[in-house]
Amino acid sequence: MSTTQRTYETTIIVNASLEDSQIDAVIGRVQDAITKNGGAIAAVNKWGRKRLAYPIRKKTNGFYVNIEFTGPGTLLGTLERGYQLDEMILRYLNVQLDKKAIAARAARPASTPTPEAPTVSPSPEPSPEGQSSPDEEKK
Amino acid sequence: MYMRRQAASTTRKPRREKEGQGPRKKRTCRFCDAKEIYIDYRDEKRLQRFITEQGKIIPKRITGTCARHQRQLVQALKRARHLALLPFVSDTIR
Repeated sequence: MSTTQRTYETTIIVNASLEDSQIDAVIGRVQDAITKNGGAIAAVNKWGRKRLAYPIRKKTNGFYVNIEFTGPGTLLGTLERGYQLDEMILRYLNVQLDKKAIAARAARPASTPTPEAPTVSPSPEPSPEGQSSPDEEKK
Repeated sequence: MYMRRQAASTTRKPRREKEGQGPRKKRTCRFCDAKEIYIDYRDEKRLQRFITEQGKIIPKRITGTCARHQRQLVQALKRARHLALLPFVSDTIR
């Protein structure tokens, strides 16, 4: 019964050519998979559509979703299996967050990369971006 | 004995002059300066500074990153590459 609960983070790239509702459905499926297998979701960050640095399955754009959750280690296996079966998920990355990572995330809400410019999104970004980047350089 | 011999050898070879360069600038590890404890693979803009135009990882002897942070950095870079945040190879040749 003493399954150790660890904090993990999973980032997936969903096929960006889908409708928003379909993307949400994919995300919902992943969240279901986490909660049904003994995990608890801590945060869901949608980074939105971004240009891929190189084509994956002949796609040049992807919808990035990042989910932080806690759960037993066995969860990851089932999760990955689900990812591989899902045609709409181009790529995924599961990472275990150690104490340092969690502390760093808390100190600097690293969702700063979230409102990123290289997205296809249009105007309102440049000004907060210009502020954030020199800030990062200082750090 | 030993100490004296070492001192003698250093006076014989002033290394800087021999290489014909000025005094070397002291490089410090950016991450140590910033007291960084975790290098996040998600902020590709910061990571971009540590790859060449071709997308290669720049060695620590050039960037001055310390060994520990270089290891963390490399891991972050590779994760970012896997997620197509950074290129494995960027085709600047074309």
